[in-house]
Amino acid sequence: MMDLMLLAPELTLAVTGLAVLLIGLFLPVGSKKILGFIASIGVLAALALTVTSLGTEAMMFNDTLSIDALSQFFKIVFLVVALLFTIASIKYMEGNKNAEEFFSLGLFATIGMMFVASANDLMVLFVAFELASLATYALAGFEKTNQKSLEASMKYFMIGSLSAALLLFGISFIYGMTGTTNIPAIAENAAGLVTNPIGIVAVILLIAGFGFKIALVPFHMWAPDTYQGSPSVVSSLLAAGSKKMGIVAAFKVFIVALIALQVEWQTVFAILAVVTMTYGNVVAVTQTSVKRMLAYSSLAQAGYISMAFVVLTPLALSGGILYALSHGFMKAGAFIATAAVVYMVLSENKDTEDPDHLDNFRGLGRRMPITALSMTIFVFALAGIPLTAGFTSKFVLFSSTIQAGFVWLAVIAILNSALSLYYYAKIVKYMYFLPTDADKVSEPLPYTIALVIAVIGVLAIGFWPEPFSYWAMEAAKVLIPGGI
Amino acid sequence: MILSLIVLIPLIFAALTLLTKTKEQARGMALVATVAVLILTLYMYFNFDSTIATNQFEEMYQWVPSLGITYHLGVDGIAMPLILLNAIVLPFLILYTWNDDRKAPNKFYALILATEGAAIGVFAALDFFLFYIFWELTLIPLFFMVSIWGGPNKHHASIKFFIYTHVASLVMLLGIFGLYFAAWDATGVPNLDIPYLLSQFQFIESGLMKDLIFLALLFGFIVKLPVVPFHSWQPDAYTEAPTAGSVLFVMLKIGGYGIFKIMLPLLPFTASPDLMITILAALGAVSIIYGAFVALSQRDLKRMIVYSSVSHMGYVTLGAAGLVSLSVSGAMFQQFSHGLIMSVMFMASGVINAATGTRIINDLGGLAQKMPKLAVIMVLTFMASLGLPGLTGFVAEVSVLSGTFVNLPVYVMIALLAIVITAAYHLWALQRAMFGVFNEKLGTIVDINSYQTLSMGLIAMLILYFGLNPSPVLDMMLTNSENIISLMAAMGV
Repeated sequence: MMDLMLLAPELTLAVTGLAVLLIGLFLPVGSKKILGFIASIGVLAALALTVTSLGTEAMMFNDTLSIDALSQFFKIVFLVVALLFTIASIKYMEGNKNAEEFFSLGLFATIGMMFVASANDLMVLFVAFELASLATYALAGFEKTNQKSLEASMKYFMIGSLSAALLLFGISFIYGMTGTTNIPAIAENAAGLVTNPIGIVAVILLIAGFGFKIALVPFHMWAPDTYQGSPSVVSSLLAAGSKKMGIVAAFKVFIVALIALQVEWQTVFAILAVVTMTYGNVVAVTQTSVKRMLAYSSLAQAGYISMAFVVLTPLALSGGILYALSHGFMKAGAFIATAAVVYMVLSENKDTEDPDHLDNFRGLGRRMPITALSMTIFVFALAGIPLTAGFTSKFVLFSSTIQAGFVWLAVIAILNSALSLYYYAKIVKYMYFLPTDADKVSEPLPYTIALVIAVIGVLAIGFWPEPFSYWAMEAAKVLIPGGI
Repeated sequence: MILSLIVLIPLIFAALTLLTKTKEQARGMALVATVAVLILTLYMYFNFDSTIATNQFEEMYQWVPSLGITYHLGVDGIAMPLILLNAIVLPFLILYTWNDDRKAPNKFYALILATEGAAIGVFAALDFFLFYIFWELTLIPLFFMVSIWGGPNKHHASIKFFIYTHVASLVMLLGIFGLYFAAWDATGVPNLDIPYLLSQFQFIESGLMKDLIFLALLFGFIVKLPVVPFHSWQPDAYTEAPTAGSVLFVMLKIGGYGIFKIMLPLLPFTASPDLMITILAALGAVSIIYGAFVALSQRDLKRMIVYSSVSHMGYVTLGAAGLVSLSVSGAMFQQFSHGLIMSVMFMASGVINAATGTRIINDLGGLAQKMPKLAVIMVLTFMASLGLPGLTGFVAEVSVLSGTFVNLPVYVMIALLAIVITAAYHLWALQRAMFGVFNEKLGTIVDINSYQTLSMGLIAMLILYFGLNPSPVLDMMLTNSENIISLMAAMGV
């Protein structure tokens, strides 16, 4: 019974998800709006339960699940993103007869991510990973009549399946060499992995598998198409949520389980980090689709977070973890702001080819002042301007890189960060400086609420970093016992 | 508490001004805020002890203890004159724009206030984290200022300015990190306090590391200053900015401030101080002469003023490299003087542009006949800018050149050459634009209005006052310079 209490947040979400499905069956299309509220309240309840259980530490179900500072932290990240997603989707799903499926899929995806955060066993981790992935494949293709959405879903599904296969393959090698799938036990029995070349093969397979999920170059090909083609609210869930799932899983697998092979994967991550951040930023500069631009910027951000795998000091890990939370707010916020713009454009003209084209952001400062201001805060945060979450996390992450002596890596990251400002500033330029004849429009309330929550998050971490950096350090201690 | 007020009042009023609906409310708000800052600053100034070089009016609260970040404010004789400069000029700037008609006045005045708060924040911050936040915060209002109300090339100029100085800031941040972690590794305690980290620099063991930290910080400051060859963002940004934006740019003396406040205390402890001195001096001398030559060839009055600014900022690094208290305090005074002079010069070029529709010097002519009040103010300011005795520019340049001559005669000789050119382009521009036969093509022209006369006239009076009696600000600069120099002497530099 005690165990189940610890799973209260996940159970709340599961019950909410099933309830949404059931209630939806009996509602006429016009009244399905209520489902979004139910889903949001469910996520909010789960978030409250997780926050109140902060500090709890426990092992469950034969040590396959672990509740600790790290899992709690990432659960909060996922729930925050899920909350933004469900609130923003209330407007997006208005009048859609499949609303119950949409919301329940979103909730189940979140449950999957939360189990990945708590997983202490590779099999549990894999199953949870797939739970989240399957739900998001369906969400990505939710606009069944939209060619781009279908393509997004298809690409995401094919490549996702491939990465799952690679992951499973890698896990099987590890199991074969160590005789266990329990993460801490793998670390204890790593002797076989170190002496046998199979260990290297496993590392390569796992890096490829996680690389797909985190969208590290060269495993990123699906990401821009998928983020662009998916409904914008789903893109927010993918970029801000499911990508973080890949990161926390990689933290557990590499830093806890495979620490004996540190030298091998550290070098690979160093190369991947540099290539990913540079490629992402350079390509983002030329984009005219805002969602595609955000997708490439998302690659870049993943590149920054990967630096934590290279530096591997407690401070760097806490920087990476804090970055995950900040990125959740910033990226989800940016996609939701884009969703609001897309919504506005489509409601004015149903046949628009590229509703997220930069041109549609012209004069947004006058047309949709709250959306434009929020978007400005998000992109400045993504660029790392002070007093935002982006700056705080870059400060911790980049400075730890210098502390550990990887000055070259910090220099590359900082130059990248400066480059990124160019395309972020371009969005601001379109919103505030380029004129448009279009009229002011009323901003849909659900989007606005989601944006305000994300802005509060971004500014809270920026102005008052202490509690967040403290939590992140506590979480980092789980990865490196004995800590800071 | 008073320092926090001076920083926060403009920032809070910036937010309030954003909410106003009419021009009258917006400019009223801005005036109230800037006057409040001026009053508080004057109170602080009169209670400031200029005989000691330590930080005064200090405030300190914990902010992020786990990373050693505090909210630490304080002013010394390096920061005080620059806060005073901002506090004095800003109310006049609001008056100058009093009768302007422009779109979105609420945003316009909000951005002016935000820049003031951020700039004073940089001067007041004694914690590197806080310092960096204010430093970066100065970028955003100016970016918007240029982008919204700027000239025809505003988008290009604003993005160039933003990226250029942001890169420099990030390199500076690398230097801050270096300092921070070197001290953290040595003591085991994280601390971002500026005076503390400056004192810890000498204990870093690796000489290469020391030089890299020094150069990274220096890069951030000299791009902001700016000096040749890192100046290329400046002519575009200053020229394209609306007049108020240009004035705000010259009020932002944070680059030079960083050189005095941070670079000079570190200098004697670098591995190769002589090399660093040479770098500073060469940058200064090249800027002085290069800026003067380019200014000479400008057709646009405002662009000429901008390049004269490049030239004049060269005195800041040259004086800093001079390493005697006369040259260092002269360089500090140059910052103060330059802020006063440039703000009037930009205002003058703004009113000429508004009255005639052009800033091309050859298209003007004989303006003095139609705009006598402007002519008086402009002549006085141009004379100050070219270094006529009795005005602030002279005090600064003479102190820098004569002080620096002791240690670096060659560089001073190069700089001296520029004095002739400086006189030439100032007088030439005055003669062609203001005097001679009135160019009838310009149509009917009225003189500056009473608000503009009041604002420009009073700043011009201050240029004269501080030119005749520099000691109210020069004294505190001297105290700090002597402090720096005695530190150097103790180290044998």
